[in-house]
Amino acid sequence: MIKHLAAASLLLTTACLVAGPARAADPGITDSEILIGDVEPLTGPPALLGVAASIGHKIAIAEANAAGGINGRKIKYVLEDDGYVTARTIQGVKKVIDVDKVFAMIGISGSGQSIAVMPVLEKSGIPTVIDVAPVKHLWEPPRKNVFVVGQSYEEGIIHLVNFLADRNPGKKWGLITQDDDYGITVRDGFDSVVKAKKLNVVYSGNYKKGQQDFSSDMLQLKESGAEVFLAGGIIAENIAMMKELEKLSIKPVTGIFWPGRIEPVLKLMGPAGDGIYAVDYVEPFAGPAGKAFLEKAKPLVSEAEFKGINRYTMTGYAAAKVLIAAIERCGKQPTWACTIAELEKTKNVETGVMAPISFGPGVRFSNQKLQIMQADAKTLSFKPVD
Amino acid sequence: MQYLVQLLISGLAIGAMYGLIAMGFAVIYKSTGLVNFAQGEMTMITAYVAWTISTTVSGNVFVVAIGAILAAVVLGLVIERLVMRPMLGEPVFATVMVTIGLAVILRSAINFIWDAYPHGLDIGMGRGIVHLGGIGVRTGQLAVIATLLLLLAAIWAFFRYSKVGVAMRAVAADDRTALLMGISATKVHALAWAASSVIAGIGGVFFALSYDLSPAMFQLGLKAFPATILGGLDAVLGSGLGGLLIGITENLAGGYLGSGMKEVAGFAMIIVVLMVRPFGIFGERDIERV
Repeated sequence: MIKHLAAASLLLTTACLVAGPARAADPGITDSEILIGDVEPLTGPPALLGVAASIGHKIAIAEANAAGGINGRKIKYVLEDDGYVTARTIQGVKKVIDVDKVFAMIGISGSGQSIAVMPVLEKSGIPTVIDVAPVKHLWEPPRKNVFVVGQSYEEGIIHLVNFLADRNPGKKWGLITQDDDYGITVRDGFDSVVKAKKLNVVYSGNYKKGQQDFSSDMLQLKESGAEVFLAGGIIAENIAMMKELEKLSIKPVTGIFWPGRIEPVLKLMGPAGDGIYAVDYVEPFAGPAGKAFLEKAKPLVSEAEFKGINRYTMTGYAAAKVLIAAIERCGKQPTWACTIAELEKTKNVETGVMAPISFGPGVRFSNQKLQIMQADAKTLSFKPVD
Repeated sequence: MQYLVQLLISGLAIGAMYGLIAMGFAVIYKSTGLVNFAQGEMTMITAYVAWTISTTVSGNVFVVAIGAILAAVVLGLVIERLVMRPMLGEPVFATVMVTIGLAVILRSAINFIWDAYPHGLDIGMGRGIVHLGGIGVRTGQLAVIATLLLLLAAIWAFFRYSKVGVAMRAVAADDRTALLMGISATKVHALAWAASSVIAGIGGVFFALSYDLSPAMFQLGLKAFPATILGGLDAVLGSGLGGLLIGITENLAGGYLGSGMKEVAGFAMIIVVLMVRPFGIFGERDIERV
């Protein structure tokens, strides 16, 4: 009898070890529901991106649920607020994985926050699609269960500076960046084009995160005679810079980066924002794809949520579409292992809000196609220019 | 020369905003002996209320101004009555921690009541640009400098000549003796919170006019606090002037030493000044008889 019990235990242990993370019954799935977890900044200034991204996830989930869910199971979205505080992001991710026991993760706060939770995600083995702040550390080296939809900040800046340099040959350049990892990435991208194209940089500033008054910085920019200006602020900073330039009666050719490419910014910049260039990998709302997305979103979210839609809603929507499609392809009994395998097989998935999304064996970054847009102050919108 | 003048004007304008908020810090400290770490958040709330009035009730400057002042008074009184008065007699550390907690709650309230988007406060004036000898200045920037100077004069007169002002000074000097003289310390405290909320709120509204409203606006409190320390934590007028000094110093450092020095310069000046005058430029030295 003891021999039989020992043999059975050995068999069971071996079976568990062989199965590894691809357990027979992964958490977050019942007969009627699949749980998808997310941690975003829902309070404080970065809520601008966190709330918008969560709305994108909600739109994709509502769309899937309206079509019957994932193979008959409704998707339930579990959302936690981290207030953009890294310690709270880690705590939140642990909570949704260990306590709420979600089946998959999506979104996940800012760049620093998602980098910080990477060990937790890797250790748990949960299928994850990150969409808010794509930075290289998230896909280099590739982690088996973590996929990133978007484009790197550095590539974005290189694309923008190359475009502006080609359009403005021989002009004097000015640059201002924030004193954090975001600013360093912007500066690195800028510097690589400066070297390659031998740009004449006459002003290079660096401001402290949280700075609100840019009067002396923009005065220096004016004195330097810069004709092309890369405004490396995020939102409020770029607005303040453009208004200072207006006060100083100068209007250099200006480029901004996608974190600040949201339509309300143009309203606040007023005429000062007319004609500024931006780079992004999601469609502008003024274009046919953007309009179609808004039409689709309207019946799926509340009025307040609809007002909170911005570019991050599109990135969130696209990532959620990819994740839902992968789970769906796993059939009636999806597992983590199957979902990860299906995510890896993602090939040219159309979301309508950005270029088709693909991953591959060892490829965990979708490397989205970039496009340049120009602001139109009259219609308060960005329009593609190339 | 034009470069210097432009830096000075911009420095005076942002400094006047710091100065108004710094005066808010000092009014509370002078009357209650407490540093209110929720000052920046109270400033932000008043500015958001002004914006709500301008977008929902009327964009008329007088309607917005009266509405915002009333809202600031109510905010100050409610905080004093519900949050601070129960803390009377408790250790200073606990009371300060309460203001820090209050700051976090007020900061989060922005997202719950309003949203995370930046907004422009449009009351039909303050955003226009005038050129003085070739130097561009927003009318709101000129207005905030004038407002600070007017308030400095008014507050000096209030503390010097009005009964309430003298009562506030009495409570600040010795609340027990003031009580024996028939002055109600709780009423003085309530008045101080209301006055502080209004003065700082004016600074916040001017900031929203010149720049924009955003949930990051509470950081103004972090910039204004050094101005209070510089001017003297117990010196209301000195704090206003401290704001101007910080604004000018920041701008001159940013303009001549580089962008990175802008945020550092004000604090560097404070360190130097405090080493010479630990109670601030206009603060009173504490004398204890033994």
